[in-house]
Amino acid sequence: MKKRPGGELATRPLHFIWIADCSGSMAVDGKVQSLNYAIRNAIPDMRKVADENPNAEVLVRAIRFSSGAQWHISQPTPVADFEWTDLTADGVTDMGKALSMVADQLKIPPMTDRALPPVLVLISDGQPTDDFKSGLKALMDQPWGKKAVRIAIAIGEDADDEVLQEFIGHPELKPLQANNSESLVKYIKWVSTAVLKSASSPASQAADSSSLVVNVPIPAVPDTGPSSANDVW
Amino acid sequence: MMDDGHEPEWRIIGKSVQGASHVRTGLPNQDAICWLPESGTGLPLVLAVSDGHGSAKCFRSDVGARLAVETTTKVIQEFLESLPEPPNLSTIKRWAEENLRREIVRRWRDAVADDLSAKPFTSAELEQADAKVGGSKRRQVVPDPILAYGATLLTVVVAEPFILYLQLGDGDILTISEMGEVGRPPLPADERLFANETTSLCSRDAWRDFRSHFQVLSGPPPALILVSTDGYANSFRNEADFLIVGADILEMIRSDGLDAVDERLQTWLTEASQEGSGDDITLGILCRVDALKIPAGRVPAEQLPCMEEAAAGESENPTKPLSERRAEKPQDAASEEETV
Repeated sequence: MKKRPGGELATRPLHFIWIADCSGSMAVDGKVQSLNYAIRNAIPDMRKVADENPNAEVLVRAIRFSSGAQWHISQPTPVADFEWTDLTADGVTDMGKALSMVADQLKIPPMTDRALPPVLVLISDGQPTDDFKSGLKALMDQPWGKKAVRIAIAIGEDADDEVLQEFIGHPELKPLQANNSESLVKYIKWVSTAVLKSASSPASQAADSSSLVVNVPIPAVPDTGPSSANDVW
Repeated sequence: MMDDGHEPEWRIIGKSVQGASHVRTGLPNQDAICWLPESGTGLPLVLAVSDGHGSAKCFRSDVGARLAVETTTKVIQEFLESLPEPPNLSTIKRWAEENLRREIVRRWRDAVADDLSAKPFTSAELEQADAKVGGSKRRQVVPDPILAYGATLLTVVVAEPFILYLQLGDGDILTISEMGEVGRPPLPADERLFANETTSLCSRDAWRDFRSHFQVLSGPPPALILVSTDGYANSFRNEADFLIVGADILEMIRSDGLDAVDERLQTWLTEASQEGSGDDITLGILCRVDALKIPAGRVPAEQLPCMEEAAAGESENPTKPLSERRAEKPQDAASEEETV
């Protein structure tokens, strides 16, 4: 007798995508260096969270946008093997292009409908220079784009909060404002751990077309304190 | 009607297991399964499976799921027992399409109200919900406490002249022919069943979200009907790997018997959850006993080599997708079917 019925068993994939602004302004005041440090620093915690839930297969990748957009880490990489390669900054802010490239990757296929909701983290310090709305529409036209956990981090006062809010698409969730390296590290760690943990074992919930629903509970955002003399961005 | 005139023997077996991720977090099994008659033999048979949502605001969904399967099987059994002999299929079909859904939702909501009245929400329950998702969710639950009990529902009724498939929310119903061909009843697609969202008994006007298929039998019924919560299909690499379950279980029942399979269900489902989705898994199996023997004369002689080939193919290549074979050979072509 066959040991058990059915074909191959598999845990559910959870795609985690960094969408990073690498425009020229990110080179000012050490923003891109802080971002590189924050993401690299969060990897061990991310691995720990992934280890705690063996039924989710956390797969990480990253896309950068400046003049155009390119996959910085193109392969969905198991978090255990994920290594961060430093980003560099120059050019303009073609955020729309990055979102449309992410949208392509959220199509079914290559995604499967049995995946866990993907986590998309958009980090930007400025205003889009291309057709942001088309890129966002392409993303939201995909079922997994709509159901993704969309988090936005604004670096510095010049970031376009309105655009980041549109990306989030939910009035109760606001862009996270990072005005110094310390707060950026906290937010990156939060999204790499608390949000990842929440997304990796989401409970079912009743579909409700009449209101905006966050399909994964978003944990409490870390308090980075009021504006202070430490704010440099 | 069966073409040989005798009433076929059917049996039900089934199990529900706590998901691996719920074992880790201490959340009780949110699924439930129930069938009538309790002996699980004879006709008509009613099987119901439910998946409580388990989200922070659905903190009583294990109770909601249990109430769903208990009330649904009872509502259906009461109706079937009230029918005159011989039953009028048009009456049954009309009832299935119009009144049954409303009655299930009404009785489920009444059962929830009774439970809530007997056991009002405790501050510990509400505080735990708050801690998990923040105050806004608590505000949603308190004005409409029924949300706390949210659950899906999958039901199959097998009677001598018909089969009724009824589904609200996610989960899977598979039919397996005597030849081992795996299919699904033709329920209408529902795009809302995506990601971790599902239609639910706790939604407003939930009866409108039911999908059903009423099949009047004029040819051989399926050999097996499998009813499972979404944690089972989500534990396989893809749809093809999940569909193999159907033919495999038929083959296992034929070679080792229904009781042996019943004994192993707990282990199989637990393993699937551990190595797959981590979710609670419930599987109910309706089995037409006379289909297990493949009686001589039932299958035309020229088809026998195909059947042997299919069985051999299963054991040699257990991950071979069955969808290709299914596409070549439609199932239950002789039956009159209507989907709502």
